[in-house]
Amino acid sequence: MRWAVIRDLLTTEIRRRMSYRADFWLSAFSALAVRLAVVWFIVKAVFAGSGRPGIGGYDAQGMLVYYSAAILVGKLVQTTELEQGISQDIYEGALTRYLLYPVPYGVVKYVQQLGALGPAIVQLVLFGAWLPFVVGIPRGFTAAGIAMGIGAIAVANLLQFLITFPIQLIAFWADNVWSLMVMHRFASALLGGMLAPLSLFPDSAQRVLQALPFRYLFAFPVETLLGRISAAEWCAGMVVALAWCGMMALVGRAVWRSGTYQYTGVGI
Amino acid sequence: MRYLRLYASFLRFSFSRAMEFRLDFGFRIVMDMVWYVVNFLFFWVLYRHTTLLGDWTYDQAMVFMGGVFVSDALHMTIFSNNMWWLPFYINKGDLDFYLVRPVSSLFFVSLREFAANSFVNLLMASGVLVWALARYPGPLGVWPVAIFLGCLLVGLFLHYVLNLLFLLPAFWMHTSHGLREIYFSLTETMTRPAGIFTGWVRQVLVTVLPFALIVSFPTRALFEGNRWPVVLHLVGVTAAAFVFALGVWRWGVRSYVSASS
Repeated sequence: MRWAVIRDLLTTEIRRRMSYRADFWLSAFSALAVRLAVVWFIVKAVFAGSGRPGIGGYDAQGMLVYYSAAILVGKLVQTTELEQGISQDIYEGALTRYLLYPVPYGVVKYVQQLGALGPAIVQLVLFGAWLPFVVGIPRGFTAAGIAMGIGAIAVANLLQFLITFPIQLIAFWADNVWSLMVMHRFASALLGGMLAPLSLFPDSAQRVLQALPFRYLFAFPVETLLGRISAAEWCAGMVVALAWCGMMALVGRAVWRSGTYQYTGVGI
Repeated sequence: MRYLRLYASFLRFSFSRAMEFRLDFGFRIVMDMVWYVVNFLFFWVLYRHTTLLGDWTYDQAMVFMGGVFVSDALHMTIFSNNMWWLPFYINKGDLDFYLVRPVSSLFFVSLREFAANSFVNLLMASGVLVWALARYPGPLGVWPVAIFLGCLLVGLFLHYVLNLLFLLPAFWMHTSHGLREIYFSLTETMTRPAGIFTGWVRQVLVTVLPFALIVSFPTRALFEGNRWPVVLHLVGVTAAAFVFALGVWRWGVRSYVSASS
């Protein structure tokens, strides 16, 4: 493995991401503000309609904190623009040059995904800084929770990449995998706790969701950050998340081998 | 008549192009089905904990969601692909090919590509809406349903106009990617009942950035006794937005220098 190559890939991607500044700030502030506003009103409406002080283990303020954290953590887990990168390489025949790299293609793409996190981290710091003043500081917020949360986010980012990698490799056979990626985004938003905290689901559904990988993309890191998960639960969750990472890596490897075997390098 | 014949040609070419990519055709149909299921489940989960969401019951919210699916499917079928390419035409200088044709250039760039694969989703979305209306426990009546469907079409046109307005700055900006992002974010307000929004945010969403009108107001026209103020509001805002968009389009075309970037 050439570490200099990896370092260059990482810094190039960060510089590329920060280049279109007007666009960056427009999408950063406005899009996030709209999403936060929508969840704010949904939470207010749900609590107003129910007339109860707590729902699914959250009071109104706690649920607002959860949603806000989920939106910000989601930025670190999903890097939407790069989601099309792998399939695009296959369609354009650009994959060929990566096959000559001294680093495996999957590693190159993952490092690029990490580089793309640069702007998301800036957003996280800027928005995260004023969030406590607007929605308050969560009660279980501790240094240990933050440390465990960072670990959970790192695994979530890796898991997201490993889930989307084989989906994108379907481009070896299909004309367009964009819709498959969107399907994954829709499904993971609901089943991963981005659209609503998983504790709002029926108990039977929650048991199933514990075993699926989606929870470890959003709900698990967020609940860890907010101090809603004990150290023992965190360890158990990380084992499940890493097991899913291993399983998806094997799937990705199998699809990659099968795809490259019949790859011609011509492109569409 | 000339424009209808032209649109028939657009449809013919679009269907033949869509059938070249059959797997993608199938993927897109499944993608929209996933979107429908996710949205239904989202509202089902919320209504497990509340009886009302923005003054609407679960059954009313189901009709609203049916309206959202139909409106979105129509937009995806008729306008979405065309709107996606518009900034690229402007930035690459390809708009020239549309400006020199002997028909309205706005008509051409807005309607040229008919998304045949989304058309199948439109049939599914219509089925969902019919199901939501049929399962509604109260009496609805033919006339209110007709007004609802008419208002949905007005809302669709408003959706197109808003999409266009967020792309037209491409005439003056190097990239409209950021504005497109904002537009996509704002469409989320269209998929939630307008009744949940309060205060100045609500005022903005029904006037200056009228995304909350697109489906919520047709649904209000269906369920509210005094529906005419709602209908007039929707039609008035849509007309004003279209006149404004037309002015910006003409201004943009005058500023267009055909240079690619």
